[in-house]
Amino acid sequence: MDIPILSLLVLIPLIGAILTLFMGGTRTKYAKVVALVFTAIALVLSLYVMILPSSDLANLTESYAWIESAGIKMSIIFAIDGLSILMVFLTALLMFLVVIFSWNEEDRPNYFHALLLAMEVGLMGVYMAQDYFLFYIMWEVTLIPMFFLISWYGGPRRHYSAIKFFIYTHVASLVMLIGIFGLVFGTTGGDFSFAAVAAGADLPLMMQIFLFGLLFFGFAVKMPVPPFHTWLPDAHVEAPTAGSVLLAGVMLKMGSYGIIRVCLNADIFSAAFPYWQPVMIGLGIFAMVYGVYACIAQNDLKKMVAYSSISHMGMVLVGMGCMSEIGIEFAIFQMFAHGLISAALFMVCGLAGHNFGTRDMRLLGGMAGKAPKFALFMMIAFMASLGLPGLMGFIAEFGLLYGLWEYLVSVNLTPLILLGLLYMLLTAGYYIWAMQKTLFGRLTDKIDLEHAHDIGNIECVVLAVLAVLIALFGIVPTLATDYIMTFAGGIALI
Amino acid sequence: MMGFVDFAWLVPLVPALCFVIVGLLGHKTPEKGGYIAIFGALFAFVMSALVAYDYYTSDAYKLGEAIIIGPIEWLNIGGLSINFGVYIDSLACIMMLFASFISTLIFVYSLGYMHDQGEKKRRYYAEVSLFLTGMLGLAVSSNFLEMFVFWEVMGLCSYLLIGFWSFKHHEGDDASDNAASAAKKAFLVTRAGDVCLMAGLFVLLYAFGSLDYDYIFSNAQTVYANNPTLINIGILLMFGGVIGKSAQFPLHDWLPDAMAGPTTVSALIHAATMVKAGVYLVARSYPLFVTSSDAMLFVAIIGGVTAIYTASMALNNMNIKRVLAYSTLSQLGYMILALGAGGYLISIGMQEGNQALITLGTMGYAAGILHMINHAFFKALLFLCSGSVIHATGTEDMRKMGGLRKSMPITAYTMLIGSLSIAGIPIFSGFWSKDLVLEAAFAPFHDGLGMGSVFCVLFILGMITAFMTAFYMFRMWFLTFMGEPRGHCHGESPKTMTVPLMILGVFAAFIGLIVLVNFSYFIIQSLAPGLGGALADLGLYLGFHDSMHILEEIFTNVWTYVAIVLAVAGIAIAYMMYVKKPYIADNFDQTKKGFLYRLVANRYYFPQLYNQISWKLGYGVAKGVDIIDRNVIDGTVNGLSNAVVGSGEGLSQVQTGYVRDYAAYVVIGVLVTIAVIVLMVCYGGGF
Repeated sequence: MDIPILSLLVLIPLIGAILTLFMGGTRTKYAKVVALVFTAIALVLSLYVMILPSSDLANLTESYAWIESAGIKMSIIFAIDGLSILMVFLTALLMFLVVIFSWNEEDRPNYFHALLLAMEVGLMGVYMAQDYFLFYIMWEVTLIPMFFLISWYGGPRRHYSAIKFFIYTHVASLVMLIGIFGLVFGTTGGDFSFAAVAAGADLPLMMQIFLFGLLFFGFAVKMPVPPFHTWLPDAHVEAPTAGSVLLAGVMLKMGSYGIIRVCLNADIFSAAFPYWQPVMIGLGIFAMVYGVYACIAQNDLKKMVAYSSISHMGMVLVGMGCMSEIGIEFAIFQMFAHGLISAALFMVCGLAGHNFGTRDMRLLGGMAGKAPKFALFMMIAFMASLGLPGLMGFIAEFGLLYGLWEYLVSVNLTPLILLGLLYMLLTAGYYIWAMQKTLFGRLTDKIDLEHAHDIGNIECVVLAVLAVLIALFGIVPTLATDYIMTFAGGIALI
Repeated sequence: MMGFVDFAWLVPLVPALCFVIVGLLGHKTPEKGGYIAIFGALFAFVMSALVAYDYYTSDAYKLGEAIIIGPIEWLNIGGLSINFGVYIDSLACIMMLFASFISTLIFVYSLGYMHDQGEKKRRYYAEVSLFLTGMLGLAVSSNFLEMFVFWEVMGLCSYLLIGFWSFKHHEGDDASDNAASAAKKAFLVTRAGDVCLMAGLFVLLYAFGSLDYDYIFSNAQTVYANNPTLINIGILLMFGGVIGKSAQFPLHDWLPDAMAGPTTVSALIHAATMVKAGVYLVARSYPLFVTSSDAMLFVAIIGGVTAIYTASMALNNMNIKRVLAYSTLSQLGYMILALGAGGYLISIGMQEGNQALITLGTMGYAAGILHMINHAFFKALLFLCSGSVIHATGTEDMRKMGGLRKSMPITAYTMLIGSLSIAGIPIFSGFWSKDLVLEAAFAPFHDGLGMGSVFCVLFILGMITAFMTAFYMFRMWFLTFMGEPRGHCHGESPKTMTVPLMILGVFAAFIGLIVLVNFSYFIIQSLAPGLGGALADLGLYLGFHDSMHILEEIFTNVWTYVAIVLAVAGIAIAYMMYVKKPYIADNFDQTKKGFLYRLVANRYYFPQLYNQISWKLGYGVAKGVDIIDRNVIDGTVNGLSNAVVGSGEGLSQVQTGYVRDYAAYVVIGVLVTIAVIVLMVCYGGGF
């Protein structure tokens, strides 16, 4: 390989971040152009990786020595496979779209875009790292920009939310770090690379269960899994739209990605699987149902959508917990699907707040007549999220629930599938109800209708791109599943 | 050799393209895409006819096989491989033909009916085109998951079209609210059924390892023998979907509310086509369903109960569309009853190896399908007529109509044809199919089968329903068209509306006569792949389903004459009550009626029950979760942080003003953590 594409995927946003950061004074207005160019390059690179034949992906792997002393070996290893490729694409795509979506951001645009690009660095790194230490560093790198996005550009309670976000995820990543140390020093004694750890893994059962637990906790808070979730609704409600889109679209996926990549590695933890499987399934089902009920109780559109993320990620946890081919592969599909759908959801909710002056459903009503384009995209996003066939959310839900069904049959708990069905019904319930309250019925007189306006052309284009992709992957799912299939070989089952 | 049948996939695809074109460019074309939608429907009809002809003349038809086109891999992930294809057999042909034909007529009618809707027409024509895609896709699917996709697409269109006036309603805010609420109810109630259907698909997928029709149909008997309980549950779950979509008891209550949509939508979706999807699913899955006689018994009971229960609500309703909606429910009950009874016979016949029972059972199947077709025509006609009346009078309340036959004769007499047909007056379509339906319900009792007494009750319910049907239909017709005018009327509707009425009128009157050209033999071909062994010799059925034999069956049966007498009696009583007696407004004041009248008028308080359940199960629990979330979980977190940092200084106290401090803490915190770790690891040699 002549061009180090994977390194470029990390370096390009980094250069972009540094450039935009220093575009103060009169040059601030060009920051968005720079950000657009750099995110576009990253998107093109990720698309190039997508069109490569899957057999060539392994050739992209890059490995650089980094720290080697006193028996410690940390390397910079980037690789891409069927699991990471969709996440890398998702990151690059959403970053690009978010930059366009935030085209009219007037408040310190240079910092704003620098933060976005810095986050892209971290996200790309997390999804491609093949070294535990690199993985951890990149994980932390995503945290700081998000913190600033919330606390500088957020809503009225942004400081509380930002600090809460930070403490939660930081504590979780410290626990994860302890897990990583335990794992590395228990296996290779100092070589942090994924391959070395997997090759040298021979942990005793109790150690496996314990380390799995530490790592799982670190990832689960990020997903987030109740009862460690309350940072998420607060963060979403206060974050600017761009922040929310990235938070739900790609950052939550770091948690589930970590679980598949690290915890569900049969070379290391296979003995611990049977012990953690019921926990994962139980927590997953709990998250699904709990999240759904929490959604129903919300009045703020964005908070409702935030809780829906919890419930949909619960679905991912269930899929991973099945520890079967079908469960894990559909969990990956759901991660990808939810990435696109939640991006659209949060953009729509952000626009509601921006264009109508409120996201409170009690104050809204009949907006379809006032803002037809808004109504169209809100319906597409909501329908996709509630699992309407023809859109990609359905495929994930069908597969995941079927995986759950298979698992439940195998442990003689088939009736629990009713909870899955309840989840499907109530998900439709809160979305349809929310649309009724927001879009339909009599036109509200509780908001400033003079200034309420439909969405602009830029936002329209971004949402249309997302809508087309959501429909495309829903109608031709093999476009995405072919990548996931290449990961199948990597999944060693119980 | 490639024939038209190889291009059967164009049937749903062209309306789908029309949906895209109308959606994107409709506002630039005349009638906002109306003509494009009509083209799509007409193309689908012509193509369906060619495909049906191709199939009818093919060897596959003679052998009792389906023609499967494709299939292509739609999904392949996690060891799950789903193929989508096109499945053409006589049932699919029939479904495509009547759906596309009626759609064409209704779309033409819409040109007149929706003419004044301005910019909204684009949305209308885009949504009905998408709906047609769903309906035709459902008809030609070759896989249960594929079928489910189209099934849900129709559900979406139904939701959108019921809510067509859910904002900016020309009648004002209350009407907007009503439409919004009706759309929500339709979506969620059918969703409850759909969720069951999906669970049913899980069972099939688990038991068969495939969702392809041909695989499931040819292996149904074996798999059922291995695990009867599981398949029974699967069938009942699938039937849950039918209950939702075809609005059977107890998920029937969304359909009357769905009348909030435009009348054309009521005619197309909530009478002629979409609500038939459930019936179609039962018919389509017959080879699977008939493995279980218990399930078929349940199907028949639900059908019979729905038929009479919903007919009773049409007896005293004053809204012309609501009467027709209840009537639709009741007729759907008939179809389900016929399919259930026929399936029960086939099921018992197969268990006992009794060919005569199987043969008899296929008649129930044919009766159900025939009634589905007939009903599609006469109910579409009736709805369009009511639409014409509403268009002219501006009201749906029959108390404000009366005497309209003079001002709008075409509407009046086409509607009369529809009413005669549904009432089951001989020669008219409804007579043939209704008679066969009742005969099918009677057959298990007649043959002295184990559950015969249940079917006897169902048969009696069906007979009473027939009487009620004749009564409420003519009550409606007399109140609308006879007597003195009680409101104003703009006169007859435009040609675009009356011409489809007349065409539909002809069909509503005579389509039932297809029973005389070996229709039932044609349709039972679609059972052959599934019943393989049992239907080994299709020639056996030819004699039984011969037109002459069917005529003989009908006219030598004493119950046929009883049903005719009941229908005539119903019409006569309606005549006595609403034409002979002068119209007195007080008689129609619902508040002055007795308990029973109010019970029926309030739909047996079913909507209230729904509300209670959904409120308790949904919002009640949700509020509890919300309180736990905010107080217990978040309370613990905030309390903990307060305790750690010191009272009043903790997380919950973080307020504005200290941005820079906190930011610095965060960055420094992360950096220090990383630095300490690196130093520790590199120079401390690990832990």
